[in-house]
Order: sequence, then C-alpha cells, then structure tokens
Amino acid sequence: MAELAAEVLAEVRRVARDELDVEGPIDRASTLQGELRLDSVGLIVVAVALENRFRVRLQEEDAGELATVGDLVALVCRRVDEQQCPAGSA
Amino acid sequence: MSARLVGPALPAAPSPTINAALARAAEGPEGITLVDAREEETFVTYAELRASARGVAAALLDRGVRPGDRVAIVLPTGRDFLDAFFGAQLAGAVPVPLYPPVRLGRMDEYALATARMLMAVGAAAVLTDRRVQLLLGRAVERARPRLGCHAVASLRGSGAGVEVEVTAGALGVIQFSSGSTVDPKPVALTHGQLVAQCASLRALVTAPDGERTVGVAWLPLYHDMGLIGCLLSAVTFPGHLVLLGPETFLARPALWLRALSRHRGTISPAPSFAYGVCVKRVRDDDLAGVDLSSWRHALNGAEPVSVDGALRFAERFAPCGFRREAMMPVYGLSEAALALTFTPSAGEKRSLAVDPDALAATGRVRPGSRRIASVGLAVPGAEVEVRDGGHRPVGEGEVGRVWARAPFLMEGYFGQAEATARALREGWLDTGDLGFVDGGELFLCGRARDLVIVRGANHAPQEFEDALEAVEGLRTGCAVALGYAPAGVDGEQLLVLAEAATPSESLARRAAEAVAERTGVRPHALELLAPGTLPRTSSGKLRRAEALRRYLAGTLRPPGPTGALALGVEMARSAAGFARSRLP
Repeated sequence: MAELAAEVLAEVRRVARDELDVEGPIDRASTLQGELRLDSVGLIVVAVALENRFRVRLQEEDAGELATVGDLVALVCRRVDEQQCPAGSA
Repeated sequence: MSARLVGPALPAAPSPTINAALARAAEGPEGITLVDAREEETFVTYAELRASARGVAAALLDRGVRPGDRVAIVLPTGRDFLDAFFGAQLAGAVPVPLYPPVRLGRMDEYALATARMLMAVGAAAVLTDRRVQLLLGRAVERARPRLGCHAVASLRGSGAGVEVEVTAGALGVIQFSSGSTVDPKPVALTHGQLVAQCASLRALVTAPDGERTVGVAWLPLYHDMGLIGCLLSAVTFPGHLVLLGPETFLARPALWLRALSRHRGTISPAPSFAYGVCVKRVRDDDLAGVDLSSWRHALNGAEPVSVDGALRFAERFAPCGFRREAMMPVYGLSEAALALTFTPSAGEKRSLAVDPDALAATGRVRPGSRRIASVGLAVPGAEVEVRDGGHRPVGEGEVGRVWARAPFLMEGYFGQAEATARALREGWLDTGDLGFVDGGELFLCGRARDLVIVRGANHAPQEFEDALEAVEGLRTGCAVALGYAPAGVDGEQLLVLAEAATPSESLARRAAEAVAERTGVRPHALELLAPGTLPRTSSGKLRRAEALRRYLAGTLRPPGPTGALALGVEMARSAAGFARSRLP
C-alpha cells in the first residue's frame, strides 16, 4: 500500500509540473486549490491522469473530500483497493 | 381581448455586425474585467481585445480556416475565450462555444457529447487551451475536425492582424439549445440577428443620463444569457463588463455580489436558482462593506422564476442596498437569440396565484395556491402570441402554446432542415412553452416540448431515461423524465415516472442513484408505476407532456383490467404507492 501511495504521489507531481506548470515542492500536505492553484480544469487534468494510470474511476461526489494532495493520494489508493477486493467478496 | 403582445419598435443597432461593433468599441476606453477565484482582476480594453483577436484571425486564416467555417471553442471564461471567439468572428468564421469539462467523473459522456456537437456543426477546427486540450483527445478523435485542435496561445503573436469583411446576413454564432447531449440542436444566428437582439435589450435597460452601464456576469459564455446578453451586448453598446467564471460563482456565490459592489454594477442576470443559492450560502461576513444599491436590473430568467425565491433574495440583501424593484423576471430562449419578454424595470412586478390542478386538468386559469411570476411584456421588435392546438390565438386567461416573431429569431437549426421546419412556421417560432396572458402580461405555466431545465441547464429527457436502461427491475423504454415545479420548492425539478412489474422502495432508490450517477442530476421525485400506466401514442411512443399533465391532475392510472389480473394490478399499485418516495 505504501508503495502504491508513493507511486500516486509521484504521478501527481509529474502531472502538476509537466502539464500544469506548477512550481515549488509538492508533498502530501500541499493544498490543491492553495499551493497547487488547481482550478476545476486543473483538478480534472490531474484526476484523468490518475484514472488512466491506475485504472480507477473518480466521481463528481469525490471532489468534496479533496483538500490536499494527501486526500487525493488516499482516494486513489482506496479505489485501487476496492477494485482488487470488491466490497462483500473479502 | 386576444392573447397577443406586441413590443415597441426595435431601435436600429449602432453597428451592422459584431465585427463592426468591436471596431467601434475599440475606439473608446471601455473594456472587460476578468475576475478569478481569488478575486484577482485583469482589465483588457476593447482595443486590446480587438488587436489580439485580429492576430488570432490571421493565424486561423493561415491554418486554412475559410469564411463561414464553424470553429468550436471549448474554453472556460477567460482571456483565451475572448480572443478565440472574436478571432473566429474576425476571420469570417462562425464561433461555436461548447462547454468545457468542469466536473470530476463522467468523462466518457463528456467526450461523446462534445463529439456529437462538433459533428452537428461540421466543425473545421477546435480552439482551446493547453490544459483542456489534454481532455479533448477522444472527442476530437471521434469528430475529426478538418483543421484539428489548437491551443489559443499557439495562435497569438503571428505578426500583423487581419479582419475579413462580413455581412449582416452572415452567420455570427451557433449556440447549442436543448438536449445537447442526446440530440444536439445547433441554433444558428446571423450577425444582424445578434446586433438586433442587443439593440432590443439596450432599449430596456437604459440608464439615467450620465450613469455608466456596468454589467457583471458569471454566466457561462456557451449560453445565450452570458454570451449575447452580457458579452455581445457590452461590445455592441460599449460599456464596462465584469466577468467571473460559473465555477467561481458556484464555489463562492458571494464573489458575484462583491464584484457587483466593487464595480458599481448596474445590470446582472442570473437564473432563478442562483438567487436561491445566494440566500442559502452567502454569509454575513462575506458581505462586509457590500453595497448593491447600484444594481438597477437583476434579470431573472433562463428557467422558471420562483416568486418566493425572488422575494427572499430581495429581503435578504435589502440591508446591502438591494432594491426590490430591481428584480426583473424575463423570458426567452436561444432560438430567439435570447429574450422575448421583460418585466418593466420600474415598480412592483406582478404575480398570480393559480390553481395548479385546474390548470393541469382544463387549461383554465383559476385562483389557487401556486404563485406564478409575470414575465412581462414583449421586448422591442418582438410579438408574442398564445395559440391553441389549431394555431388559433386564444383569449386572455386561457392557456396555450407561446409563439413569437422577431427580427432576431434564429436562421434555423444548423444543418437540420426538418427540425427547423418544425420550430419555425411562417416566420413564427413555436417556443414549445405553455402560458397565458393576464392583464397584458405573459405568464408561463409549463412546457409542451420535451425538455427538463434544472438549475438553468437544459436537458433532453432521454439523458435521464437512458440512465434507467441498466437498472434491473425496470421495464426497458417504459420511463419518462419530466421537469416540474413541486410545491414548496424553488425552481424546476426532475420528476421520473417509471413502470416496474414489482415496485419497491429499494428499486426506486437504485433507479434514482443510476440517474444521479450518470447525469449529475438527482431526481426530486421518482415514482414507480404499474405496467401500462404511462400514456402512449398509437404507435407506442411515450407521451411525456400528457404523462405530466395526468400526474399533476392526479389522473395517472393503470389501464383498468378485470378479474384476477385486476387484483394483481391493485397490489402492484399499492406497492407503487409504498414506493412513492420523495428523494432527498
């Protein structure tokens, strides 16, 4: 799990720097709207990159719980986990 | 008295085309202030805007855009949108603004809907920015525009700008109307029609001598109210325009009111729901120092107007200087460029309390409990007539279909001759709305065309109905989605009526979830009905408007079988009653 989280964080950093020109260090405590200055399009760009890379789906309802990079990393990890052991089958 | 409203004479527009209007605006000092989510502002004069648009026009021509080509613009509100929109117009092309992705999730449907719209207009090129371009891959791949997809930044600064001469009869914009995702209706308007609508609006919102007109808008620019009512009006009658993005308003509604206060805004439109959002979500500490006394025209339209909602807004913001009479219900539709009727800007606005049951059952206006706002008088240049099913004008107080005639009615739906012929007859537009005239003013009370308007956004009913296809336990193709105004709730809401062999509460819940997940709109009510309850045509097609009429009149009943079958149906009905749940 820790390995996956590190991979997700690396992907967030890559997209933020390469595609969205975000400058400065990015860690789990970085706020999406504050430090990363992500608007709605920026957030979708990051989300779609994560969806494609980790084969998960993020929904509109998820946006409410996302304040920091750490929230986003945790959400993607949870979705990957749900896919591997769907609820009820464990 | 017949139910016909005739507006005053239409004043001549100061410019024959939007291109000429922009050239005229560029001679003055006015311009557009762009406000971002942090309330940081950038001001661009019309002269600067025209110069950069001429640069974009040159680049477009360079890349092969020809006069009359449709150029899609997929951008949020901002400088890129302005450069792309006017750049396309100055190149003699037809800008087609489409909505950019704004929400997480549902990107598959977004790609499909965007591709459909690109194909419906035969877009030659797509203009966007570098970030949105990352999200448009699949839509562009599917629609294959001849000249591809370009970031506006890559079209700037290519030497001297140019401008192609256009005539008043040339298409100036294509805006999408109802049902964009299932059956896109591209409304085509000429330059002449656009400036005529702006001239009509201008005559309604004239300011006292010496007062500067300042527009403030957060409405999307891919929608008539934002694009024509705010942006093109501000260019045609040069005035200061303050623009915020719709996502900024939705995230922090107070920023709209604060922008109005900071810039001494005199005119700002919004759909009914937005006034309700402000009452609910704007806190007192967001309003420190906010002064709304300059706001002369708070236009309220694009969806059915909530009388109570408008009153609550006026009360809530009266301490900030908001003037109650500033709230002006208006009516129009994209097929008429934008506006058809306006309430007078001075004095109390009228409303009527009518009996909803009598209205639904007999089409007669009787006193009752449901309050309907007057949407006023015909705007300059427009005629509005309420007609019966045989196209004959009805009398005052009788409900009928609203028809309109004006110099700013659309040319037609682009490339859709049949749909155009259904909407436009002998120079009159069938609005598809139901209404009546009382005391010389128009009141709207329903809709004959299949369209659901939730929070100012138009949806084709098929969007919601299709979402039910995958729900186990529902009968395939036996559901209707409808817009209605339930008692005690602001604005139009989504009602879903679906037939099910064995209705249950959990089935109703799953069905509502499926609709919400697929479309982003949660049904206000979802009713499960016994098979055969929904009215159909002789060929078996569902009759949505009739289903709604019967639902509201309380006469929606399953067919009357006999014997053992009747017992079964009765049981199903009581189960349906059990499953009748108002969803949160």
